[in-house]
Amino acid sequence: MDIDFYIDSDTLIHRLDGRTKIMLFLASFIALVFFENPLFILPIAFLILLQNVLAGALVNIWRIRFLLFVLTVTGMLMWNIFTSGETDLFWFFDLESLLYSLSRTMLMLLMIISGLNLISTTRNEELVLSMIKLGLPYRVGFAISTALRMVPTIASSIQTISQAQRSRGLDLDSGNILERLRKFIPILIPVFISTIRDTNVFGMALESKGFGAKEERSFYLQMGMGRNDYLILALSFLVVMASIYLKILGLGSIPGLTKF
Amino acid sequence: MKETVTMWKNTRMVILVALSAAIYAAFLIVFKGGIVLVPGITEVRPANVFPPVFGLLFGPAGAWGSAIGNLIGDIFGGTLGVGSIFGFFGNFFLGFVPYKMWGATFGLVKKDDMSMNMGDWKKIAAFELVSLVSSAACAIIIAWYLELAGIVPFAFLGITITVNNFAAAVVVGPILIALLYPRVKRWGLLWTDIMKKEDVGKGFARNIGSILMIVGSLGGLIVGILVATGTAGQELYAFAGSSGQTSVWLAVLPFIILIIVASIMLSGREQFVEETL
Repeated sequence: MDIDFYIDSDTLIHRLDGRTKIMLFLASFIALVFFENPLFILPIAFLILLQNVLAGALVNIWRIRFLLFVLTVTGMLMWNIFTSGETDLFWFFDLESLLYSLSRTMLMLLMIISGLNLISTTRNEELVLSMIKLGLPYRVGFAISTALRMVPTIASSIQTISQAQRSRGLDLDSGNILERLRKFIPILIPVFISTIRDTNVFGMALESKGFGAKEERSFYLQMGMGRNDYLILALSFLVVMASIYLKILGLGSIPGLTKF
Repeated sequence: MKETVTMWKNTRMVILVALSAAIYAAFLIVFKGGIVLVPGITEVRPANVFPPVFGLLFGPAGAWGSAIGNLIGDIFGGTLGVGSIFGFFGNFFLGFVPYKMWGATFGLVKKDDMSMNMGDWKKIAAFELVSLVSSAACAIIIAWYLELAGIVPFAFLGITITVNNFAAAVVVGPILIALLYPRVKRWGLLWTDIMKKEDVGKGFARNIGSILMIVGSLGGLIVGILVATGTAGQELYAFAGSSGQTSVWLAVLPFIILIIVASIMLSGREQFVEETL
């Protein structure tokens, strides 16, 4: 089972420092969230998609195409129900609410693609180390990196246990909702117990190697900010500032839109 | 809430955070899509039973594990986004509320027997109560923020998250706790066996805190839905049909503050009693 979105490549985006990629990810959120009008979202959409293409990560968008499709359909429907406008189109669709639904759907998809850009170009250990360098306490970072490393192992054991239980006659796909939920118990229990029972040994192993003995840590992975990092950060800063400025000017909204 | 910080100095609690997060994330990934209720709209995720179970067994480590596990589930699921930030806080409360409320469930759990052996209906009722409240708390935190950011409507997301979280917990939770509790207790991995009592927040007026937590969570959900659907709010909250203004986030905000205040009032120290299996 391939659950890793990281693409092993040497593109411009891959070579950026992890901290730059996290800041880029956060900047895209800030820049996007100010606008209701889809026209104002388009330039930021272009930048996010350009980053995706430069990273060679289009393949990952394809991998989650079903999710993106479902979000598009539900996003377009939902916001039309919860908003209204002055220009009637058809059924419960007004021009203003339709534009708003389009912008909200774009927002949702672009934020996911922005996150995808980050995880497609950043290894798990680089991601955690970047967070630590940005101020995350080491012990929290250690917990996150340990969990990240263990997920594929546990996912694999879930599948093994599922297959073993299915071969004994467990049918997860039939019955009403309550019966189907109960059928997960023979999978939940063995996975939980096999994972948790070695906690004490794990703890002793860590402490015997000096875990937590010193506040200052050194890391095998070395990171550094280069010229491209500063350029990208400056560009992100400018885009965020431009978005804020446009918002202050009162641009980017949809006249005649009413939200409950 | 002191224990959510002090637990990080304990190596075994740090490991329990990592393991809880890994288990939760792995189940979220493997059973992504869950049991579909309405295709493309909502499903019940079996993994959602874990946060309240982790919370009750591992205390603050379970709360952090749920938060981090959900974040990792988003990373591996390709759905890391702005929702992940408040998904982190929402799932934290999904694991946090159960252990904070366990000792303040209006007599359902007796002072001299805080064990989770699920031997009588009162403890099962207590489990269902804390699961429902934590499900609603998680829902309003996530839905409030996504409404504020204008990404997903509160009424839709609030009810979906509550149902998703609670459905798995209500059916599977008591059985899971009954089966796991004796083993975790035997291995000395209950949070009350690992942490020191003085490292846990003292709290005050715990039963009132419990009431405030219920009002904050369930009240916030109901009011948010009423305002979001236009059933109430415009007149009730004096936001008088202001075009282009979102009133939901203002209406729900006091309830979120109530949840935070209740979190400070509740303790968890009362669970530090000698138990028998």
